[in-house]
Amino acid sequence: MANLHSNPKKLVSLAHTLHPRLLRFFARYPPAAIVPTLTEPAPALPNPFKCQKHLVTGRRHDPVFSLRRQAEIVKLARKQGVEELLPHTVKGTEERMKRRAENGLRVKGTGVGQKVKGKESERTLKGRLEKRRQAMLDMPQMIQTWKERGHGRGWKKWPK
Amino acid sequence: MAKKAKSRTIAVRLVSMALTGYYKTLIRPRTHRPLSMLKYDPVVRKKVLFLEQKRGGRG
Repeated sequence: MANLHSNPKKLVSLAHTLHPRLLRFFARYPPAAIVPTLTEPAPALPNPFKCQKHLVTGRRHDPVFSLRRQAEIVKLARKQGVEELLPHTVKGTEERMKRRAENGLRVKGTGVGQKVKGKESERTLKGRLEKRRQAMLDMPQMIQTWKERGHGRGWKKWPK
Repeated sequence: MAKKAKSRTIAVRLVSMALTGYYKTLIRPRTHRPLSMLKYDPVVRKKVLFLEQKRGGRG
């Protein structure tokens, strides 16, 4: 994408391959990355993916594109490899990755540096299996002792 | 009132010494020595030693 500035021909050929919906978007909101190649500098448009504060009334106006449409445009752009030309949006891959790292899979404990608590049986499973394994290793010796002590007649250590 | 007579036999629990939590319940005479035997434990899929669990606790 870095050589886009320098090569307007490439931009044109890229535009031919783009989805019409993306094309319409870029025509309406030319990305800052390719604006310098145009002849006259266009006035900076507000980010259509963000809500805007009205200068006079101070009220916030909704974004031009709803979150659903933002997601759809981002998806199309990602498929065609032009996502970085889009304005900043919460639906962008980078933002999504950030959120994924923070929250994980929305299941408590799946984020970075977090731990899933799990059921007690799951937490203690490893220890129990280890205990069982050790008991099975000691089993032949135990059976031998048991046989020597008259099949339980002289056994002292009964389980609780 | 006279106390009810204790039964001659009791049900006992034989726990697997493979520490799998598997057990078998058997009936033995109250005065008999504690039971112990080699039996199959389906958790470890082997014949292992089963020993009678010590009784009491609540009583």
